[in-house]
Amino acid sequence: MNFDSRKIVIITFIVSIGLLYAFRLLYMQVIDDTWTLRAQEIAEKRKEITPPRGVIFDRNGQKIVANQTYYNLMMVEADINNLDTAAFAKLIDWTVQKVRSRFYQIKLGEGTFYNRHTKKRTSNYQKGRAYPFMKELTLEEVAEIAPHLGRFPGFYEEVTSMRDYPYHSGANILGYLAEANREDIERDSYYRAGNNMGRAGLERFYEEELRGQKGIKYIVTSALNNALEPFADGMYDTIAMQSAPMKLGLDIILQAYGEKLMQNKKGCIVAIEPSTGEILSMISAPSYDPNLLVGKRNIGINYPKLIADPDKPLYPRPVASEYPPGSIFKLIQALVALEEGVINVDTGFPCNKSLVGCHNHGSPSDIMKAVQYSCNPYFYQTTRRIIQQGKSKNTFEDAEIGLTIWAKYMHSFGLGEILGTDITGQRPGRIPDAHYYDKWYGHHRWAFSTIRSNSIGQGEVALTPLQMANLAAIIANKGWFYTPHFVKEIGASGPLSSFNKKHYTKVSAKYFPPIIEGMRRVVNEDGGTGRQARMIDVVVCGKTGTVQNPHGKDHSVFIAFAPMDDPKIAIAVFVENAGFGGTWAAPIASLMIEKYLTAKIKDAEKELRIVEAKLSNIQ
Amino acid sequence: MRSDDKIAQDIDWPLFACYILLVTMGLMTVYSTAFDPEHPHFFDFSQKYGKQVMWVGVSLFLGLLVFLIDSSIYRKFAVPIYLFTLFLLVVVLFMPAINGAHAWLGFGSFGIQPAEFAKIGTALLLSSYVSNINMKSQNVKTVVISNAIILVPMLLVILQPDAGTLIVFTSFLFVLYREGMSYDPIILKIINLIPGVRFKQTWIGTHFIPILFFVVVLCVITLLVSNNSFNLLFIPDLNTSGIVGVIIALAIVGFVVYLILSRMASRRERKQAVIVVLIAFTLSSILALSVNFLFQGLAPHQKDRIELVLGLNEDQDGADYNRNRAMAAVGSGGAFGKGYTKASLSSVQSNHVPESETDFIFCPFAEEWGFAGSLFLISVYIFMLLRIIIIAERQRSRYYRIYAYSVGMILFYHFAINIGMNIGFAPVIGIPLPFFSYGGSSMMSFSILLFVLLKLDSQRRDILY
Repeated sequence: MNFDSRKIVIITFIVSIGLLYAFRLLYMQVIDDTWTLRAQEIAEKRKEITPPRGVIFDRNGQKIVANQTYYNLMMVEADINNLDTAAFAKLIDWTVQKVRSRFYQIKLGEGTFYNRHTKKRTSNYQKGRAYPFMKELTLEEVAEIAPHLGRFPGFYEEVTSMRDYPYHSGANILGYLAEANREDIERDSYYRAGNNMGRAGLERFYEEELRGQKGIKYIVTSALNNALEPFADGMYDTIAMQSAPMKLGLDIILQAYGEKLMQNKKGCIVAIEPSTGEILSMISAPSYDPNLLVGKRNIGINYPKLIADPDKPLYPRPVASEYPPGSIFKLIQALVALEEGVINVDTGFPCNKSLVGCHNHGSPSDIMKAVQYSCNPYFYQTTRRIIQQGKSKNTFEDAEIGLTIWAKYMHSFGLGEILGTDITGQRPGRIPDAHYYDKWYGHHRWAFSTIRSNSIGQGEVALTPLQMANLAAIIANKGWFYTPHFVKEIGASGPLSSFNKKHYTKVSAKYFPPIIEGMRRVVNEDGGTGRQARMIDVVVCGKTGTVQNPHGKDHSVFIAFAPMDDPKIAIAVFVENAGFGGTWAAPIASLMIEKYLTAKIKDAEKELRIVEAKLSNIQ
Repeated sequence: MRSDDKIAQDIDWPLFACYILLVTMGLMTVYSTAFDPEHPHFFDFSQKYGKQVMWVGVSLFLGLLVFLIDSSIYRKFAVPIYLFTLFLLVVVLFMPAINGAHAWLGFGSFGIQPAEFAKIGTALLLSSYVSNINMKSQNVKTVVISNAIILVPMLLVILQPDAGTLIVFTSFLFVLYREGMSYDPIILKIINLIPGVRFKQTWIGTHFIPILFFVVVLCVITLLVSNNSFNLLFIPDLNTSGIVGVIIALAIVGFVVYLILSRMASRRERKQAVIVVLIAFTLSSILALSVNFLFQGLAPHQKDRIELVLGLNEDQDGADYNRNRAMAAVGSGGAFGKGYTKASLSSVQSNHVPESETDFIFCPFAEEWGFAGSLFLISVYIFMLLRIIIIAERQRSRYYRIYAYSVGMILFYHFAINIGMNIGFAPVIGIPLPFFSYGGSSMMSFSILLFVLLKLDSQRRDILY
């Protein structure tokens, strides 16, 4: 037998291995970039420098959101040497058990890496890398620990920055920061485990404007994470940049004053500068000190308490609570009726209490008096004329046509839709339309009589306090508004472009003066419902509302603007379970107006009565 | 004795050139990888590159000696040389363990690895013994002895333990295969014990290399699909487990082979073909089933290890650390590399790839020179191996030829496994890249292997028969 042909088998083996390896290398080195990325992940470390967040000023240049220096206690496991756990635990005032579990926590939390290409989370804990062991220590705390750290190699302190709210108010507007969660990290490559981000309010809405630009240093590191050299001589490095300061239209003094007035009450105050749409203050009561939610430790202690509070201090009532507006809604009914031509200024209706209940007052012989007396039967009949215009012989079809027209007017006032203010948590309120009632009663099975409560601001209609304040601003402007907003300037640029657009309602400017005159009388003439809002040298125009509350005492509402001739402030006050609108909401509004316009309160007695009133526990 | 210029005429220059090329590239890579800025001098003997220079010097000197010594002594003293290397393998077992293996024999600050030299002894004795066997009249004794020559050092190596060298010793099977060695004498003895069976020869005994290859491939495929299940193409709803898929594939392959065989064969042979295919199918299925059964029965951590080697599992920072880092280094080289001394992952300083100057030296090379360099290096090795096959085949003496094949196959194994573990094609077993990796023992032993071959080849015309 001749075995010479067997050399072919052997040569085949050699050549195929050679070809196989050549193609494999071609794939690994040239075609596929998985391994290149993996190598970068291993050796080229990005060292990120997070800048302090942008600071925020109010309309008068007061710094209302600042940054404060804190310290993190950092840990590098590779440098730890015979750690005396008991002594260390005693130094930082933890239990030994807590120190131990913190090590595991770091490995499973901060020590993981999320690969955005493979969408996999892998352990990336490296003993040579620094991880924060304790976060957010104050100067006093770190001063106790730092001098003794020499005994514990592997631990050192590092400076960090956190929010500080010097005025202790505006929590519902400003929001708070919390660590980015897993979802945030996976969604946005900006965040790493342990980074803070805005969780609510302006901090959240303007997160990208406030967080600034991270500085990134690329360094080539060894397996022990020693920096070997800057990568590509620092060519790709960027410098950390704090974002430009932000200026709000908010008046922090007014905000703080409003919070003081609303203490021990539930409800809201929203004040807007009508000519610009800038929000001057937005009080949500009860509220909390924003400093309670600064830093992980504070959040850990205070957040559960706030979330468990039955009064819901974290709930942004001014934008999220949808209340029936009550009698303030009559103002729009009057405006729409004038625009539609179903009444004119001199139209009078008798105060027919068989239609709907009313209080005792003079006869509303024109629209001014009707507003002044807040006559329920008058607006019942006015709204019926809007809804049932007789455009169809079928009453039901007629109501459908009328309601559709009516809803369009309401939307033009920014009602029933989210206004688009620069804050989180907004709700649209509710303006029922034909579709809405069809769902409840069936097509052509409802008419004005079914939905009549809406004419006096009860029933299905609901507004947020922000929308109520905006309504006051619209009337002050005689028919137009800028979307209410907080931020006036971001660095050198103005507010977001959407806040520079004037929105016109569907009611012409000429129909506003009689309504405004009515509102003047509400406050300034005997027989008006809002006499408590009267001021000596400023003409306040307002409208009260008392919202029937099936669950308890009525809600007290008041919207107003002042001064009458050159409106500087438009305001809505809503006090839950406080009773008649003129009793509580009206004086609060006048105090706010006075504070804003004159910075002084002349009627100290009135102020004292409001401040001391405890209305929050009345059901 | 021959004069020196005669030697110069007859030496195989292409092979020698490959050797010099690889040694030079190896030195350069060791220098770049192990570079210490405090000792920048290439000949600094406190550094690995300085030492490697010294080892190359020693190896060249040993090569000169090989050329000066009368080559007949290798054949004459094959048994003593073999026994001496075995003796060293025994002695080393009593040495203190380094990294968990009794592999190093210390001489002062230097140490050698006897396992590297055992390959030379085994190659010499195997060539000497097998060349005396008449392949037409093999018997149990010749089979047992020639295999024992390989198995005894393997046994000693496994005691160290050194899995890499153990596997390298199976390269001698290729040599036996080339020479026509058959396991039939033993297999027939066993099979013919079955009453009524009387074979004269078995296909398995003679064609053991292709069979082994088939067995290995079948095992790997079985393990790969062992945990999977898939739908058959023609019956979409029927979900089969991996092993069923393997057996169906085997049946299809068997049927195709039968069709091919029956077309070529006569009527009587056709009957045989059916039997052969059926037996092959049965044996293969049994093998696949038992591999599957054994694998499923393994403890989870053993299973993990196997899955890791097969690339079914990822454990980048744990058990798979070395290979993952090595592959990242190789893969990040790109088309033309990061440049000499610019390896960011596999330099000793950065230390991301462990053993980057010895077992994983292909990493820094591939990282620095990219695909262009890798392709060049692979081409040099393949050229060298093919050159050795050519040299082997031109020998008139079977003794020379067997030795040449031994050298070729040892180098082939080292090359295939070493590069393979850098690119994820082979399990991580520590064996050096010949002529390239840092290390005195491997440099010297491979050089001696090669220089003996060059010496024998240069004298090929002196042999009349």
